Amino acid sequence: MNGKSSSSISRREFARRAAIASAATMVPVGALAAPSTSAVPAITQTPDSPSLSAEGKAEAEARYQAILAVYSTRFSETQKADLRRLSYEAQEPLDRLRAYPIANGDGPALYLKPLVEREKKTEPAVIPHAATAATTKP
Amino acid sequence: MPAEEIFYLPLSELAKRIETKKLSPVDLTQLYLDRSTKLGPRFNAYARLMPEAALEQASAAEKEIQRGHYRGPLHGIPYAAKDLLAVKGVPTTWGAKPYADQTFDYDATVIEHLNRVGAILIGKASMIELAGGMGYRYASASLQGATKNPWDTKCWTCGSSSGSGAIVAAGLAAFAIGTETWGSIICPSAFCGVSGLRPTYGRVSRYGAMALAPSMDKIGPLARSAEDCARVFSAIAGHDPKDRSTVPIDKGAFTYSPSLDLKARPIRVGWLTNAWTKLDAGVAKALLAAEKVVRKYFGSVRSATLPDGPIEDAANVIVAAESAASFRTLIRSGRVSELADPTGQIAGYVNEQYSAADYLRALSFRELLQKKMEAVFDSFDVLVTAAQPVPATLLEANLETDISFPDPLGAIGNLCGLPALSVPCGFTENNLPVGLQFVGRAGDDFAVIQAAQTFQLHTDWHRKHPKIV
Repeated sequence: MNGKSSSSISRREFARRAAIASAATMVPVGALAAPSTSAVPAITQTPDSPSLSAEGKAEAEARYQAILAVYSTRFSETQKADLRRLSYEAQEPLDRLRAYPIANGDGPALYLKPLVEREKKTEPAVIPHAATAATTKP
Repeated sequence: MPAEEIFYLPLSELAKRIETKKLSPVDLTQLYLDRSTKLGPRFNAYARLMPEAALEQASAAEKEIQRGHYRGPLHGIPYAAKDLLAVKGVPTTWGAKPYADQTFDYDATVIEHLNRVGAILIGKASMIELAGGMGYRYASASLQGATKNPWDTKCWTCGSSSGSGAIVAAGLAAFAIGTETWGSIICPSAFCGVSGLRPTYGRVSRYGAMALAPSMDKIGPLARSAEDCARVFSAIAGHDPKDRSTVPIDKGAFTYSPSLDLKARPIRVGWLTNAWTKLDAGVAKALLAAEKVVRKYFGSVRSATLPDGPIEDAANVIVAAESAASFRTLIRSGRVSELADPTGQIAGYVNEQYSAADYLRALSFRELLQKKMEAVFDSFDVLVTAAQPVPATLLEANLETDISFPDPLGAIGNLCGLPALSVPCGFTENNLPVGLQFVGRAGDDFAVIQAAQTFQLHTDWHRKHPKIV
């Protein structure tokens, strides 16, 4: 399994389809003949979560405070608690991503695609006439 | 009322009847409209039906065919489009209250393509608000409410192409168009027991489609079979100057021939052993049976594993950052609070906090991952596993907390823009569909279609449909 799978993932998964919940019985892969009744536990990061470093906690709290600094009046107390939870849940995935070895020369999968000729608007070729050009000078 | 079977006929059969003038496009459209009017609300399948425009299109198609101008296998075929595709003059809500009155004065390229081949748009399919771009906690995260699964209305269809899945499963249209940023075609296809194709990124123009995460958004069909998906895909694929992320002209188009020889190119199958850590018992049983079919009918089947790394973390960062940019006006205005879902109302504020450095790091990881997957596809043409580790979930389930599982294949497929096709492969004890997914190398949509078609040649799960009374 991938390196982080056993630690599970945040359930705050933007755009994620399923974010699936079910009362289903789950079977560990590799033991398909022996169904298990154990459900996969939900993972929730909290400010007290021991899995975050002190720096990680500080960053998560700063994230939450940055939101409040701008939008504080928009939220109920329940929403603030949710925002704080979400701010902390975002931290562990970031820490894992940052810890993955990426060299300075490993470029991002990002490129500028210059406009190719066929995508440019066709403009009529203009050959300036010397006399005309002279008369249009300021 | 005709026998219910007409609503579940494959495109090939509908096309044959229409071409030979044994089936009138107007009659077929009216039948689907009547059924959709009656059953659509039961499943919350539609954002909007378009009876007048549809019958007008159908009448035009019928006249053309009568005159001998048959445009091809989608001519006169009724379909539905996810309500994030612009249709000129028709409200396009993106499934979200802040956009309930939004109207565009042009058609999305996909709609244009389907108009060109004579397909009949009968309605806009319901969807999760903003395709899940602001996050969501409940199936009810939609302007239309929770979409109910035609196999069991206590269960969800999955999202975000919720209505597209329900419409095809309930026989409300011959096919539907969905979109996927991460799972939104594959999961509804699996939950609803239909076939769904997520094409290679850039193969289908997104011009006129709501942007969520522009480096990951894709458009594809949900239909009755892999062959039907291929027919629709061939109509909508291709380079589009209006969407500069589309692949070049010489690589964009897809040609499908019904006389395709499935044995012409031997498919090397990689049976994934680490895509899911746990499977629902019913899914596991169906998957074992599917594996036997695959091992029997495919020449080369070997075990395969996915690469390691912070795959879902990178995908999450990219989707979060790009969705924050896509919906920045909504977030900043505060109107995000009008979304139906409690998570959707606030998660955008967190998404805005991701740094450009973290976003670029995720893109660097994506580049490395692409190379790793290219290496995997040097050994295999398709990777195969369950489309989802669980069957359809309960409507009221809390999607954030009830169950958590890793989905590295979904993340890899969408980070790297790989094509995938989910087809039905059985049922659980509760009669809920199970999906099998085939994933291929970027650009090799043909391989996943060929593999899924081969599977369906030897199984009949795709011919099952829910009993709706």
